[in-house]
Amino acid sequence: MSMNNYEIMIAWRFLVKGRLQTLFIILGISMGVAVQFFLFSLIGGLQNSIIERTVGSSPHLIISPEDRKPAPVDTGSVHMKDYRPAALEERPEIFSWQQYVLELKKDKRIISISPAANGNGFVLEGTTVHPVRVKGLLEPDGPDIYRIGQKLISGSDRFSGETALIAKELADKLALVTGDKFILRNDSGQDISLITGGIFDLGTATGSSLVVLSLDRVRAFFGIDGVSTIEVQVADIFDAESVARKYSRYFSRVKLESWQKTNKEMLAALSSQSSSSYTIQFFVLFSISLGIASVLAIAAVQKSRQLGILKAMGTTNLSSAKIFVVQGFILGATGSVAGLGIGYGISILFIKAMGDMIAFGLEIKTVYLILPVLLAVIASTVAAVIPASRASKLSPVEVIRNG
Amino acid sequence: MADNMIRVKGLNKIYGRVVKTHVLYDIDLEIETNSFTAMIGPSGSGKSTLLSCLGLLDPPTSGEIVIDGQSFSNINVNKLASFRNENIGFVFQFHHLLPEFTVFENILLPHWIKNGRPSPALREQADRLIDRVGLRDIKDKYVTEISGGQQQRVSIARALINMPKVIFADEPTGNLDRESGTRVLELLKEINMENNTTLVMVTHDREVALRSDHIIELVDGRICRTIDVRTSGRETALEMLENLSCVLPGHMIT
Repeated sequence: MSMNNYEIMIAWRFLVKGRLQTLFIILGISMGVAVQFFLFSLIGGLQNSIIERTVGSSPHLIISPEDRKPAPVDTGSVHMKDYRPAALEERPEIFSWQQYVLELKKDKRIISISPAANGNGFVLEGTTVHPVRVKGLLEPDGPDIYRIGQKLISGSDRFSGETALIAKELADKLALVTGDKFILRNDSGQDISLITGGIFDLGTATGSSLVVLSLDRVRAFFGIDGVSTIEVQVADIFDAESVARKYSRYFSRVKLESWQKTNKEMLAALSSQSSSSYTIQFFVLFSISLGIASVLAIAAVQKSRQLGILKAMGTTNLSSAKIFVVQGFILGATGSVAGLGIGYGISILFIKAMGDMIAFGLEIKTVYLILPVLLAVIASTVAAVIPASRASKLSPVEVIRNG
Repeated sequence: MADNMIRVKGLNKIYGRVVKTHVLYDIDLEIETNSFTAMIGPSGSGKSTLLSCLGLLDPPTSGEIVIDGQSFSNINVNKLASFRNENIGFVFQFHHLLPEFTVFENILLPHWIKNGRPSPALREQADRLIDRVGLRDIKDKYVTEISGGQQQRVSIARALINMPKVIFADEPTGNLDRESGTRVLELLKEINMENNTTLVMVTHDREVALRSDHIIELVDGRICRTIDVRTSGRETALEMLENLSCVLPGHMIT
């Protein structure tokens, strides 16, 4: 038996011959899909940019020494214990950092690992002192994590024993340019002379008073025997939390904190933004479906004469319904594909029109392309069910009798 | 093969659930295979309703219809649809073609419904049909672009494409001028003779009715007389139709 899909041919012809009506409904669907696509890619792009700006150029995961609870100081008395902080205390450090680094390097999700030594110091300018944060990193992973190479304003991102990379704000304050010398003082009052090797702008508040040196230089200068932290960057930033969880079980005496944990509020804001976007999407979809349903319902009335004739000639109730469902499907498919084009156009125009006012691009993912199309096609087909059932119930004799 | 293509027993048709309109009363009827039967009667006599029932478009309220030996009481609508598609051709007064399709496509539609895309052999057959009804030149025109007479010939060709056993025609000449009407009628008669197709036609035109083999006259939803034109001859039949008012048994002449 040959495949008989005459319903498709009839549905197609009805649509083609219903020019203006068909055009309007396709336009309606495509506008809806365009809005969906635009919203998806805009919000996607915006969120990516927020995440990127927040954590893109910083470690996704920081391994730091375990928190220490102040140990009770025994005062000699049986009854009393003194919780005053100790006068001298071990600096929290990670001593066996090489082991951790070695272990982490085996994980394919991790792209950069750098041990870091941190300290607070001062840069002297005449009689004033500027407090600075000093960070010692291991090349090349360390500077990569902060994307110093990309954020370099002048000089080079290489640092050796005597050269330091400094933040732009700091350089501006101190009127330093590449090649200038400056004095760095540590918390014990020791001074060293350094050369400005490069100036970078991380674009974050915490990065604005940063002085970056080589790991060993900082360790020696601040008397750190191990390292302060181990900083990790993962290929897919959303893997950070699962990586942190995995190694929390393996590594003892250190704590692993992912960016997701430290940026909980931001993530909550992003997810509520997503859900408000989904709500909009839902209503857009709903109104498209109503539009299709009403247009097809009118079409079913308009075509009742044709349906009556077709039924007299032997079209079954199911086939009459199919004619309308197929129309819904065709409308949904063509409308949504056209909508993607329009949506893409709108997005490009939007980006162009906004120019420098927005600092992010649109995110175009396959799912943003497929999802609106899929939803529109399903909605259109479902919307056609009502007129289809109307068509299936139509009695041929009523139509034929009335001419 | 049954001698009679159509047999009807005790057919009643009542419209409406609340306000009931009894349209057909206890119709008993036999229509010979390959015959040409004309159904006449004043408007409102129920002749079109009877045709719809016989054509399986409108289910009777009660009674039995047998076509080609097959009984159609309590048969589901889809089976009815496919039986109509394969065995019955319709020609309506308002020709009822699909304006979205060309002449050729309209003719092929019953075949599409039955078998899908037509084979080359079938297209040839459709071409022969088109020649036969004289529509070769307008084959690819849309049906909205052709005259009423041409449209009626398209609907005859459409009725024939699946080579049905019966053709039901409801006032096929009713909307046409005399010349076109005559051509359409000639065509239907030819088809009835040559294709061994049973033809049942509703008409209000006595001239038309007199060209049939049998005349069934309906009054008030009942058959009041049948005339066998072949045995009585046309003159007698005409005389009967013109001079003798049809009186239902048990009814008074008013």
